[in-house]
Amino acid sequence: MTAETLLSRRERVRTTLAHRQPDRIPIDFGGTAVTGIHASCVAALRDYYGLEKRLVKVHEPYQMLGWVDDDLKDAMGIDVEGVARRPTIFGFPTGGWKEWNFNGLEVLVPGQFNVTTASNGDTLIYPEGDMSVPPSGRMPKDGFFFDSIIRQKPIDEEQLNPADNLEEFKALTEADLAELRADVAAANAKGRAVIANFGGTAFGDIALVPGPFLKDPKGIRDVAEWYMSTSGRREYVHAVFARQAETAVSNLKRIHAFIGDSVDAVFLCGTDFGTQTSAFCSVPAFRELWFPYYKQVNDWIHAHTAWKTFKHSCGSVERFYESFIECGFDIINPVQCSAAGMDPERLKAKYGTRMTFWGGGVDTQKTLPFGTAAEVRQEVLRRCEIFASGGGFVFNSVHNIQACTPVANIVAMINAVNEFNGRN
Amino acid sequence: MADIQKLYDAVLNGDQKTAVAVTKEALAGNADPLELIQKGMIPAMDEVGKRFECEEFFVPELLLSARAMKGALVLLRPLLAERGAQPAGRVVIGTVKGDLHDIGKNLVASMLEGGGFEVVDLGADVTPEKFIEAIRTSGANVVCLSALLTVTMPSMKKTIDALKDAGVRDRVKVLVGGAPVTPQFAQEIGADGYGENASSAVSLARRFSGVTA
Repeated sequence: MTAETLLSRRERVRTTLAHRQPDRIPIDFGGTAVTGIHASCVAALRDYYGLEKRLVKVHEPYQMLGWVDDDLKDAMGIDVEGVARRPTIFGFPTGGWKEWNFNGLEVLVPGQFNVTTASNGDTLIYPEGDMSVPPSGRMPKDGFFFDSIIRQKPIDEEQLNPADNLEEFKALTEADLAELRADVAAANAKGRAVIANFGGTAFGDIALVPGPFLKDPKGIRDVAEWYMSTSGRREYVHAVFARQAETAVSNLKRIHAFIGDSVDAVFLCGTDFGTQTSAFCSVPAFRELWFPYYKQVNDWIHAHTAWKTFKHSCGSVERFYESFIECGFDIINPVQCSAAGMDPERLKAKYGTRMTFWGGGVDTQKTLPFGTAAEVRQEVLRRCEIFASGGGFVFNSVHNIQACTPVANIVAMINAVNEFNGRN
Repeated sequence: MADIQKLYDAVLNGDQKTAVAVTKEALAGNADPLELIQKGMIPAMDEVGKRFECEEFFVPELLLSARAMKGALVLLRPLLAERGAQPAGRVVIGTVKGDLHDIGKNLVASMLEGGGFEVVDLGADVTPEKFIEAIRTSGANVVCLSALLTVTMPSMKKTIDALKDAGVRDRVKVLVGGAPVTPQFAQEIGADGYGENASSAVSLARRFSGVTA
């Protein structure tokens, strides 16, 4: 691949993020932990494209996402490079790779990916790889992903202290900053657009609330307790978010001082506000509890950097789009068109000039895993027709490509994007 | 005379502390536990379901009301058993094998309890064998299967097939639900019904149990 072509990939993404028509629809797979590919599918894709035999690196051990190497990125025409904080969701760093047998597939996992097998055959994983403390994650026997083990201590309402829910939100160390600078520099050398997740800006992301990375999580860590707290303990949640936002902005200032505008987009928050048919809260509740902190972070970023900001929320969230835009988000993902009220044509018409749709390319609940290749092609072409006009679209499936998705369907998806790009 | 309105309000407002206190007070005054449930808690949870349907309430409010209801129910259930009161129906519920997600399932279980059903909650990652055993031992007339992941949807079919093989399928109505589940999928795998959300699951369970709301 020539340097000129590589440069055009980054420009392609920048063009679409600026809501101008790019030469082709840019594609992301693997740029973030919500736009990735399950390790088993990465392995299948490597085989399909006839790439060098090598074990897939599981860089995100919660959802078991596989690292998309440069050769696979080139084969799939991927325009985006991702940067993430090195500690994984289980608190141990990526790197120091070792082999692990994952349901019969040999993969590489981080060196501190330490697991045991429970009596029922489940796989248990440990925070920071420390097997002297209770496990923080569980994968069912023959399963494909981990989930957090809830380690909620009894709650005494009188003793609740927001600081207990802030253990994970700390000032970055000089070593953290040096790592980030090195990773961003390496990503920049690829010539693709760069999206970074610096961490610390997810307000109440339910995957993070249980603290799977913490050895001894305190505060409100039970999923249901947290949801109830967003209605019944608002002062507590406000206190957590306010302190978190302060720390986040302080960290972002320092990061920007180190790396400048060498990333194109930043993943800020993966908190889901939608369910399949409804929402987790009302719009007024969103505006009271989340909006001020999102705005605080977005305002600082937009006042001081050229970064575009990325918000992930599954489900039926059209009702929040105006608020997302007003509080400063530039990019929305995963654009779950199968959820109630998420008609793609309506979304594009109403928000397409103000919000970049990073996702929405094909459904991952039905079409991609269970449909035929012809159905995948048809849906992808239609979504491209809807979303591509005038830019503001990065092709990605609706959330990560899940385990057990037929490789023929993934290839049909990529081929359909290329077909669309070729005829437009 | 028990202050049923206070209990109703406490459950509706998700105020567990008051729900428990009012229930204790009512029982101390020799209130009829069945009346507390039928005139206080069930109408309150029905109203919670209605408000959820019209998006006045959301998941956090459902969870708060369910917790308040359960706090009172813990006090009332032993008294009901003593009096031999019959539930609206018996439901076995669980998230299917391979799936650890249980928030949606817990909400359905709570709404069913709040609707007067006896609920056997098998938890998450439940094997077909456990469902079969629970049907046999509990005498359930309804089974609810939940899945959040696309990769665990096939476990729903496996479970229904296992119920057939074990000869218990005809004893129960099977309801399925969860984010990726659709009415079409429910039909394809041989379920009797699809619950789009917790309150629709209660409505279906009532219909299958011959109960009018």
